[in-house]
Amino acid sequence: MTTESVSAGDDPRRLLSDVRALARRVRLDQRVTAVALLALAAVSLLALPVDWLFLNADCGRATVESGAACHIRGFSRGFYWLPALLLAYSGIAVYAARAARARGLGARVLPYVLTGVALAVLSAAAWVWAYFYLDPPPAEPFADWVMVLDRLVGPAGTIGLALLVLAWLERHVALLAYTLVYLVLVLVPPAETFRLPPGLLGVHTYFLLPHLISGVALLLGGLGFALARRWRR
Amino acid sequence: MTAEAGDPPAHPVTGLDDVVHQRVRLGILTIAHEARRVEFGYLRTQLQLTAGNLSQHLGVLETAGLVEVEKGYEGKRGRTWITLTAAGDTALAAEIGRLKQVIARVETTDTEENR
Repeated sequence: MTTESVSAGDDPRRLLSDVRALARRVRLDQRVTAVALLALAAVSLLALPVDWLFLNADCGRATVESGAACHIRGFSRGFYWLPALLLAYSGIAVYAARAARARGLGARVLPYVLTGVALAVLSAAAWVWAYFYLDPPPAEPFADWVMVLDRLVGPAGTIGLALLVLAWLERHVALLAYTLVYLVLVLVPPAETFRLPPGLLGVHTYFLLPHLISGVALLLGGLGFALARRWRR
Repeated sequence: MTAEAGDPPAHPVTGLDDVVHQRVRLGILTIAHEARRVEFGYLRTQLQLTAGNLSQHLGVLETAGLVEVEKGYEGKRGRTWITLTAAGDTALAAEIGRLKQVIARVETTDTEENR
């Protein structure tokens, strides 16, 4: 060993602690959490008027008391959500690469962006499948697990699943906690938790409320992480 | 010298690599590993080194084949980017593994002495 490599600073514990601190510093400098959440919030909130216009709800004689199901068809998943999500993920990738480069680092969001794109495509494919194979729709309401799966492969659900990948890439515990809360909000919509009858809100509002909640949750999350980053600096 | 049967296993400190087991060079490898690609200025700021000192350490790592140094321009400004090679990645993982072994060995010895 050289004299240089046995200095007091080369104590194994201190070296490992320095290594961990440096790795954490780099990860902090590479984070794009706020921008990703704000971009996805914009996509989600812009979807509301589109969803409103292209939501086809056929409730016929269904009432809450009868337990019969409304036949809901949202056409926006095919022509709005897929291109909008692809655009958002591309924007996040470009921003992350430029921001990291400006700081003198490489970007690490590629797996997140690829996951997001793959899930967006899967969501659109599931919609196309349902469009052709669930026509006419079954008379009985779907089982609860089918509805949860439907929400998971819906645009808001795929955004949450991809965020889990971002939390892992950024080793970001706060983002992981946020994402788990977000997924609960998406998978268990308040309208159903509180058993709000469709008649109270109107059919369109009833079915778009979860989208509004997920959009607002993303917006608040984005603003929160942006403020936290600013405060840390 | 080869170990004979019955000899106690070699202390992990004997496996430490002089090139990697140095605070600054270990820092360079760590940052390059996390960043995928890192610019000279970022390394200099994080490690609080002069340009000359950092260049010396990078030279040692480049000669050992642990990093690749790429010089280029962005507009009129020269920029130097450092990338970890596969050998560098392996060396960093091995060094961290050995450091953990050394710490574990020291802690075991301390515990036995306190009994």
